[in-house]
Amino acid sequence: MSTSTLTLRKRKIDAGRWFRIIAGVAICLGFLLPVLWMISTSFKLPTDIFTTPPKIFSTFTMDNYTSYMQQADIGRRMLNTVIVAIGAGVLSLTLGTMAGYALSRLNIKGGATIGVLILASRGVPPIALAVPMFLVARNLGITDMHITLILAYCTFLIPYVMWLMRSFFAALPKELEESAMLDGASRLATFFRIIVPISMPGIVSTLIFSIILAWEELLFALILTNRNAATIPVAIAGMAADTENGAMWGALTAVGTLTVIPVVIFALMVQKHLINGLAEGATKG
Amino acid sequence: MKGGYSQPSRARLKANDLFSKWTFLGPTTLLLLALLAYPIFYTIQISFSELNLATFAPKGWVGWDNYKDAITDPGFLNSLKVTGIYLVLALPLQMVLGFGIAYLLNVEWKWRGLVRALFLIPMVVAPVVAGGVWKMLLDPLWGIVNYVLGFAGIGPLNWLGDPNLAMISIVLIDTWRWTPFIVLIASAAMLALPKDVFEAAAVDGARWWHTLIHVSLPMLASAIGAVFVVRWLGAVKMFDIALAATRGGPGQSTNVVNLYIYEEAFRSLKFAESSAMAVIVLVLTMIMTMIFLRTTKKLEDRF
Repeated sequence: MSTSTLTLRKRKIDAGRWFRIIAGVAICLGFLLPVLWMISTSFKLPTDIFTTPPKIFSTFTMDNYTSYMQQADIGRRMLNTVIVAIGAGVLSLTLGTMAGYALSRLNIKGGATIGVLILASRGVPPIALAVPMFLVARNLGITDMHITLILAYCTFLIPYVMWLMRSFFAALPKELEESAMLDGASRLATFFRIIVPISMPGIVSTLIFSIILAWEELLFALILTNRNAATIPVAIAGMAADTENGAMWGALTAVGTLTVIPVVIFALMVQKHLINGLAEGATKG
Repeated sequence: MKGGYSQPSRARLKANDLFSKWTFLGPTTLLLLALLAYPIFYTIQISFSELNLATFAPKGWVGWDNYKDAITDPGFLNSLKVTGIYLVLALPLQMVLGFGIAYLLNVEWKWRGLVRALFLIPMVVAPVVAGGVWKMLLDPLWGIVNYVLGFAGIGPLNWLGDPNLAMISIVLIDTWRWTPFIVLIASAAMLALPKDVFEAAAVDGARWWHTLIHVSLPMLASAIGAVFVVRWLGAVKMFDIALAATRGGPGQSTNVVNLYIYEEAFRSLKFAESSAMAVIVLVLTMIMTMIFLRTTKKLEDRF
């Protein structure tokens, strides 16, 4: 009798398990549908985009990519976005990692206060910085330049990197540096030769998230750039505003696809790092 | 070697040590002073002055005038209300959905890793793209959402054209964009839970909701708190989705405070008034963040 109740229970657990798997997969696909719809729309003819009922399949066309690209200078904006995102990501990662290390390990006098302040700065809404940044950049004549945008992005990326890396370093065993320093290595050498290499998983995921955050930023890009340094999000905001009559959907989905695909491929390639990084950052913060 | 140092060289060592410590923290501190602290003080200065639009520099001291203008501006007050509604709707919804889906996915399965990786995709769609694409999906005439709802006999709904539905649409888009982020963190937190506790509960014949309330939730409390704070910090900055999907409309029904201040400053060129508004938002955000950080700290200590 006891064996039969056990198998019954096992069967019940199995049914529950499969229900959860199927429901989970269905929900996941549901979350992917908007992205798939965007990609498929980008390859449709205009006449197939505006139909009732909506067409799932259409004659395949690259028109949305070719016709709009030159007209709106998308290539250049893409290049701007790459320069700014990588520049801001690398700069903030370097500075933020070192500062995060200092706060987690080096017992600096007043460091605790500085740490709290910098972490609190994660709560500063960018809109509170927008007006002075615009005015200062304008008066210095540095609007519409890559470096201006890179520096502006450091205001939210550095606190973000410090937040993540500080908890990452705090979880490392202290003996690592102590033995190196006893051997006479300087702090800087110890940091770069010992701490950085073993922290690579955390550093890589933090760098990627920083680049993505800079890649998709809109507010600072809107106020600090015009023609030369404008990024893709600025172009997309313009197209979304122009869709009142629905005219720009082809271009919008094409540029949207171009923006999303590289990041998706990149993210899936290093997904293990990213998911672990997310877990580290949130649960140990 | 020990004890071989004389007094001055020890002092020098100490100075050296201090120097090397500050090579780590110094550059960041300087950069953030220049890029973060200075602009905040400048915003405060502008908020108490008039802005000369010929030189784009603040002049004169006008006391609290800009603040009086701000708190009597119905548009600003409305944008605070709209932001509040958005936060109250979106944050709990995303937390419950995120942890719920993570709980659902928390079963042994060969392809679990793949499903989890696919959840990364909505997360890396730029919010402005999300707003634009959803505007297309929710189109009353040609949108796929109304078409699908039609099969269930619902609609057609004027998603972005009706004030109440527009707010729901914004919450929906934001939830689509951010729930996967919570799912991933929540999944990791659940994976890290000790398995034997659940096995013990199962052996005792505990019902699943008992296990949920008495075992899972208390152990997840600190993760829930941490995720909530991170999500809050992102949500108070919400700007892109509203700009791309509704531009604050129809009327002012989705005009979140960041969008309103942006339009006041850079379209109406009311730099001084919008600076006062920005300072008000900054103070409110900081107070709320402190409260949330305190509460999560308490949660952590309790469990």
